[in-house]
Amino acid sequence: MEQTVIKTVNLSKRYSGLWSKTTVDAVKNLSLEVNKGEIFGFLGPNGAGKTTTIKILLGIIYPTQGEAYVLGTPAGDPKTHFKLSYLPENPYFYDYMTGEEILSFYAQLFGIGEPERSKRIKELLGRVGLSRAASQPIRTYSKGMQQRIGLAQCLLNDPELLILDEPTAGLDPIAHIDIRDMILDLRDKGKTLFVCSHQLSDVEAVCDRVAILKNGEMARLGKLDELLAGGTVEMIAERVENGILDQLKALGGQAHLHEGKLFVQQPDDDSIGAVIDLVRKNGGRIISVLPQRRSLEDLFVETIQGGKSA
Amino acid sequence: MNATLAIARATFGEAIRKRVLLIILLVALLILLVTPAFEVLAVREQKTILTSFGLGIIQLAGALIAIILCINMIPQEIERRTIYTILSKPVLRHHFVLGKFLGAMQTLAFAFLLMGVAFMLVMYLTLREIDPKVVKGLIMFFFQSSLLAGVTLFFSTFASPLVNFFLSGGTFLVGNILSNFLNTIEKNPQVGSMTRIPVQILVLLMPNFANFNVQNPIINPEQQLTDETAYLVQTVAYGGVYICLLLVAAVLIFNQREM
Ligand SMILES: Nc1ncnc2c1ncn2[C@@H]1O[C@H](COP(=O)(O)OP(=O)(O)O)[C@@H](O)[C@H]1O
Ligand SMILES: [Mg+2]
Repeated sequence: MEQTVIKTVNLSKRYSGLWSKTTVDAVKNLSLEVNKGEIFGFLGPNGAGKTTTIKILLGIIYPTQGEAYVLGTPAGDPKTHFKLSYLPENPYFYDYMTGEEILSFYAQLFGIGEPERSKRIKELLGRVGLSRAASQPIRTYSKGMQQRIGLAQCLLNDPELLILDEPTAGLDPIAHIDIRDMILDLRDKGKTLFVCSHQLSDVEAVCDRVAILKNGEMARLGKLDELLAGGTVEMIAERVENGILDQLKALGGQAHLHEGKLFVQQPDDDSIGAVIDLVRKNGGRIISVLPQRRSLEDLFVETIQGGKSA
Repeated sequence: MNATLAIARATFGEAIRKRVLLIILLVALLILLVTPAFEVLAVREQKTILTSFGLGIIQLAGALIAIILCINMIPQEIERRTIYTILSKPVLRHHFVLGKFLGAMQTLAFAFLLMGVAFMLVMYLTLREIDPKVVKGLIMFFFQSSLLAGVTLFFSTFASPLVNFFLSGGTFLVGNILSNFLNTIEKNPQVGSMTRIPVQILVLLMPNFANFNVQNPIINPEQQLTDETAYLVQTVAYGGVYICLLLVAAVLIFNQREM
């Protein structure tokens, strides 16, 4: 059986201003489960409630309603924090410290003592490619280097679960690929990753499952393959008469003839069988049938802009 | 405890790089160094004046450093989001608050050490002696500003830095004069219990900063101590207990706080 690493049940968070009467329902009735060993993409446009959900999982804020469990314990239990790590959105570190010093600081928060501490820091600095910048103050680091030190900070405790909030935001393409490789590498080591992002191309390449959040509510949830499947199916055939076009269109798709070739596009693969039968019965020859996998971007845009009550 | 000390060290490291604090420290040091230039008084008076003035400057600088350091301590961690990575580690919120306070105390100790050494050097060069009262005064003012740091840190769990500046500054002023005020009232038979009792309660609740002013012969001219050591120990113990209560209250509020 798959182990559940993160679980939320009807999680809701309402921010209410202390002085003003305005309230924001940042997260509404969110229920999800993240399984051990998977890369879970937590998607949604800006303001959808991703960071809010993460903060609840870490016990930095408290839910207004519902429950959240992390590694089997209620969210915010500091003992559980030995086994997880968090990379915040646009992380900021005490910038007077050097890379080495900041890692030493975080290692002490885990209670990692010497000589283990120095050994691990040295190893991690190498792993994120910051060995040479180790004794420079973080003030002098580029955005990409800060993100790397953030990742190194996440790996100090060899965590079971990593929660990454927009890990590739503001990075150049090479750094994107580096971070993506590290994420995959961590998954291969059996870690669970909860990755929050609106950088869809990155997510598409690595995630096993995704949730799409819209205005605080779950709009889509599922295996990436399944969500992206069920797109249109395209068929190309030849030797068909003009007369069957109307019959084909009655099957729910689009059809047109062009230079003796028939192009049919069906909205899903349920009806494609009937199309094939019809073409064969009329003596046509089928050249190809191709399911058109949607891109995550299509799905995302469709989910966010589509029906209000998704 | 490991985590608490690491947070304290990081806080100190950051504090001593803060420009405002360095400027306050520098100005205080400068004033201390030029004080002997005002040689208008007879030698006997000079000693009293020099002592009072120097300790006064150090007290003021200590108080300013305590307030300015602590009004921003927690708000800035939240604003810069550095607190998120810290609280995502196995760190309890009370470790965080305690670490911040210890870091503030370490910063104050550093400032007092610098100012104290400079002051005693000046004293020695002008008077060829160092009054042991000065050392005791320095120690008492260090604890006084630590108590003030505790007050400010407590307020900072719910007040914005600007509001906190006035809250803490006000508390410091009132806490410095309140017990003198009570003395005056108690000596005056015309003041009835309707006035006296509320003031007594206030004195009991407010941090009594005046206790720590014992070494200043101008502020407390009539204070005659039979057992000075006992009094000093008592006052420091009072400060310690008060700080503990403040930190407990700060943690209780901070535990509920959302960031
Ligand atoms: N501390 C806060 N107080 C009030 N509203 C907030 C606070 N934090 C976030 N919000 C609001 O909650 C919504 C969700 O924000 P957030 O979780 O940061 O979204 P995301 O990370 O998906 O971009 C937004 O409308 C945001 O303005
Ligand atoms: Mg966010």
